[in-house]
Amino acid sequence: MKLRTVALTGAASLVLAVWVVPVAWALLTSFKTERDVLAYPPVVVFAPTLANYREVLFGSASILPNLASSLVVSGAATILTMLFAIPAAYALARLALPMKRAGGFYVLATQMLPPVGLIIPYYLILQKLGGLDSYAGLTTIYLTFSLPFAIWLMVSYFEDVPLEMEEAALLDRAGRLRALWYVILPQVRGGIAVTTVFVFLNAWNEFLFAVVLGGNRVRPVTVAMFNFISVEQTLWAKLAAGAMLAMAPVIVIGLLAQRHIVKGLTVGAVKGARR
Amino acid sequence: MRHPAHPRVRTLAQAERRFAIALFAPALLVLVVTTSAPLVYLAWTSLMRLELAMPWLTGFAGLGNYTKMGSDPRFWSSLSLTFVYTASTVVLQVAIGLSLALLVLRIPKGQAALRIAAVLPIVLAPVVVGLFWRTLVLSPDVGLVDVVTRALGLGSHNWLGDPELALISVIAIHTWQWTPFAFLVILASLSALPPDVFEAARIDRASAWQRFVHITLPLIRPAIVIVVILRMMTALSAFAAIFAATGGGPGTATEILNLYAYRTSFTEFNLGYGASLAMVLLVLTLAISFAMFRLRRAR
Repeated sequence: MKLRTVALTGAASLVLAVWVVPVAWALLTSFKTERDVLAYPPVVVFAPTLANYREVLFGSASILPNLASSLVVSGAATILTMLFAIPAAYALARLALPMKRAGGFYVLATQMLPPVGLIIPYYLILQKLGGLDSYAGLTTIYLTFSLPFAIWLMVSYFEDVPLEMEEAALLDRAGRLRALWYVILPQVRGGIAVTTVFVFLNAWNEFLFAVVLGGNRVRPVTVAMFNFISVEQTLWAKLAAGAMLAMAPVIVIGLLAQRHIVKGLTVGAVKGARR
Repeated sequence: MRHPAHPRVRTLAQAERRFAIALFAPALLVLVVTTSAPLVYLAWTSLMRLELAMPWLTGFAGLGNYTKMGSDPRFWSSLSLTFVYTASTVVLQVAIGLSLALLVLRIPKGQAALRIAAVLPIVLAPVVVGLFWRTLVLSPDVGLVDVVTRALGLGSHNWLGDPELALISVIAIHTWQWTPFAFLVILASLSALPPDVFEAARIDRASAWQRFVHITLPLIRPAIVIVVILRMMTALSAFAAIFAATGGGPGTATEILNLYAYRTSFTEFNLGYGASLAMVLLVLTLAISFAMFRLRRAR
């Protein structure tokens, strides 16, 4: 019995290592000189340097403007998404919305669209409107994946609110909007926070839309990772440092929101399957 | 409420409906304008000859782009790569995720550590994952995998440069990033099972394998179906990690349909043909997902 536990723990540790080691190795690499990076056998003990971070932040290929781009696009997309998603989710979850099933199904279907099918028309339309390399264009296309996701996640949180709360508020002759604002929304505050965080995370990590619709002005940090890779050489340590900076926000968010991740990842399909 | 025809009740119901529409309509409008309208334009573009490098050729092509696919070996190759990529990544994720979840429930310590570690690959941007693997993990000589294979006497390999290894490599990258998802969802489902069912089965002297096949598996089936549906959607639209690791190459060795549509549209700037390829992927994705949902509901 003891031996089995040891074997199982060993197997689990192996998987743990497979998930953690590449990321830990990247973190380690970000403190190496480019010469230490290419040493064989790989060195684990070395004189750490902050030069890569200095270069990535303040050098000629600084990613600071890219971090700013990401922040603006993801921030704007997140705010817009939540403004539209919260009321819509409440209507879907709780009100006698006409053609509710069809509405919910439509939202789910939009979530299934392959991004490459959207990027082609967006490229052509924005090119005609002069909207390539603009914050407005990129923010708009981000709504295509964040809005359906946010609506379904918020529906699941609204469904958790006890019905009596709402009935009490309505009997109180408070207007429906007032009941929503003062009684219901405070009940789903946690859900709103989790949804906001996930919407932001998805927007921050997006790449395909950013690489096609972006340009010299609007260039999110996911695209800027290629600054360190050229035909002649790959600056591994700079790439690692840049990636660590770019991914720091989502890693922090992910670890903090860890408990909510399963719900956040499965929500649309759970609904779709139940229908 | 037994007399819905009562005037006050009717106005109340009407007021609620109007309120519901007012709340839902803005989001609906945004979705129609940002997703459905562009798709109509995509369908229209797929009927056009539209090559940005040769604008003088632009014109209506009818179903020309679609008939062209029939004799385009690169299309058929990308289609079969899409099936190989999707099927293998989904099967691997579910198999590994399920085994790991079952295993983790049997170890006394370390569950929390695995749960936290599982979050790491999921939250990383796929493009960053692709770049990490391309450099730190799969590079010949100094990449982690090569270090291990050399230490084991299996020799050094060009993991992303050799066409056959490249396909295996991008499948491995995808599996690395998304198995934690399958693991977490299945683990959550397993943890929620009532323990007394297993007690009863144990008293009945059912073997571990029998308990698994006849009790556990049916009970967590819904969770597995959901994992399969979602993982298929992600695999069909996989882009950033492959783009970063191989760019679809070497040659077209890792060019799934999604990447072929992208390359045709934005490296060769043949947007008409690219749009028709995207249409095929769109129809394929929607058909598979609706079939899966139907299958789920039928049981």
